[in-house]
Amino acid sequence: MAELKISPFRRTQVLKSQIDEMLDVVSQAALAYKHGTEHYVRLGWDATAEQKFQQLCEFEDRGDKLRGDIGQALYTEMLLPDTSGDVLGLLGSLDRLLDDMMHGFMILRIERPEIPPEFHDTWIECAGLAVDTVEQVVVAARSYFRDPKTARDHIHKIHFLENETEDTALRIMEQLFASGLSLDRKMQLRGHVWLIDRVADVADDAGDALAIYAVKRSV
Amino acid sequence: MAPAFLVFLSSGLFLGWSLGANDAANVFGTAVGSRMLRFSTAAAICAVFVVLGAVISGAGASHGLGQLGAVNALGGSFTVALAAALTVYGMTKFGLPVSTTQAIVGGIVGWNLFSRTPTDLGALTKIVGTWIAAPLLGAAFALVLYRVTEAGIRAAKPHILWLDQWTRIGLVVAGALGAYSLGANNIANVVGVFVPASPFEDISIGGVFTLTGQQRLFLMGALAIAVGTYFSRRVMLTVGRSIVTVGPVGGWVVVMAQSLVLFVFSSQTLQAFLVRLGLPPIPLVPVSSSQAVVGAVCGLALSRGLKGARQIKWAVLRNIALGWIATPAIAAVISYVALYFVQNVFEQPVYRAAVTAAGG
Repeated sequence: MAELKISPFRRTQVLKSQIDEMLDVVSQAALAYKHGTEHYVRLGWDATAEQKFQQLCEFEDRGDKLRGDIGQALYTEMLLPDTSGDVLGLLGSLDRLLDDMMHGFMILRIERPEIPPEFHDTWIECAGLAVDTVEQVVVAARSYFRDPKTARDHIHKIHFLENETEDTALRIMEQLFASGLSLDRKMQLRGHVWLIDRVADVADDAGDALAIYAVKRSV
Repeated sequence: MAPAFLVFLSSGLFLGWSLGANDAANVFGTAVGSRMLRFSTAAAICAVFVVLGAVISGAGASHGLGQLGAVNALGGSFTVALAAALTVYGMTKFGLPVSTTQAIVGGIVGWNLFSRTPTDLGALTKIVGTWIAAPLLGAAFALVLYRVTEAGIRAAKPHILWLDQWTRIGLVVAGALGAYSLGANNIANVVGVFVPASPFEDISIGGVFTLTGQQRLFLMGALAIAVGTYFSRRVMLTVGRSIVTVGPVGGWVVVMAQSLVLFVFSSQTLQAFLVRLGLPPIPLVPVSSSQAVVGAVCGLALSRGLKGARQIKWAVLRNIALGWIATPAIAAVISYVALYFVQNVFEQPVYRAAVTAAGG
């Protein structure tokens, strides 16, 4: 099929929209993950939780597609010759966040663990902190594309929120193993907490990479 | 007369080709080095605007070079241009951005020595002065342009993709301006020594405009430069990557700074404007685009402070500077020896006796 030639201005606008959409997708996926987790913890797996899972799958698919399209456009059109590697690295990190959120929720959907009521609040708090970490990555990434010097203002928040998520996850795991639950349930629930914590870890790695990319762009 | 003239002119055309493969390519070196423009696009823009600049505005700097020594025999013009061309070609083979201006000045000084014509020290000082002024001015322009551009980007906060798009457009515009100024400024190096012996007459094209004899000569030289630009990939990459790492915006700053330097030394309008203001006029002489671009790249690095200065690869810069000193000396020696051979082996007159008598 013949490739449609578009003007450089139109091409730039399309590519900018795709990058913005990728950031929107990650942000919306984070909200779906947060609300889905909260809903599951309070009410168990039902139609609403299933709907959130389907949303996460769609976001993950869309993220993969956008990442591929953006990468192809950057290389074939020789755009951003000095930073295309960094931009693709950043998009790769965002895509991994989408994968991990979807994967964590998918395990929840398969195993449907019963979470004791005394852990509900801390569990939701932990998921909320992980999602806040992801949100800060999105904010820092938006800054990187427009004003790299200000990206640093958001990156330190990513590290702070990742630490908070880790502390909360650790607290839940300690309480789990101090409780009277059976060992198999303790290990199962620990695995799910670890999946939440991993989302924040991946976001933290993205923040580290973003800090370097921002410094490179500022020079 | 005309066929014989064309044979003699061949050395000038060879020099034009060398200039295209060297100095003209410097205009787009950082743009190609930073991968913002494809080599083929850069070479095409450069070729077109070099021709326009040479034909429309080439007269000013040509007069300045003529003051150094009026090579008054066709054999002499051929030999001087050949000596300069061989020097530039040899230096290009080593990947060093040499200056055609220095080569032709060396060649003319060699002719002056051979024909025992006293070299006009005032004109020589003026031209050599630009060898120092051009890189310094290039550095100053780059420093100011980078600071202003950086402040503008910080205030406007454009998206990285729009910044990339505008930088590309800026590179094309600045490169076209640079190529035009280069044609206007450096055409004197290529065919300036043939002006006194040129047989070309004025011709009217369709009754719309007239092409003077000098413009026809400049057109031929400019076409040789245009062909040479397609052989400039290696020097472009030397300038674009070897001295310091230049990003796309930095590439635009370098091209713009260099274009301004060439413009300053070619524009009769600017000269007249300065005189009207009571300021000393800027001499209209051929300057080296290589020197201007290297100065601009260093100015860009220095605009980033001590950190930028540390990034400069001083060893590469030293080699380039050594090339600058060697170029006029080598060209003068080759010119002197070649004039001896052309006169005594090929029995072609290389200067008119009247000049010898006048020179003493």
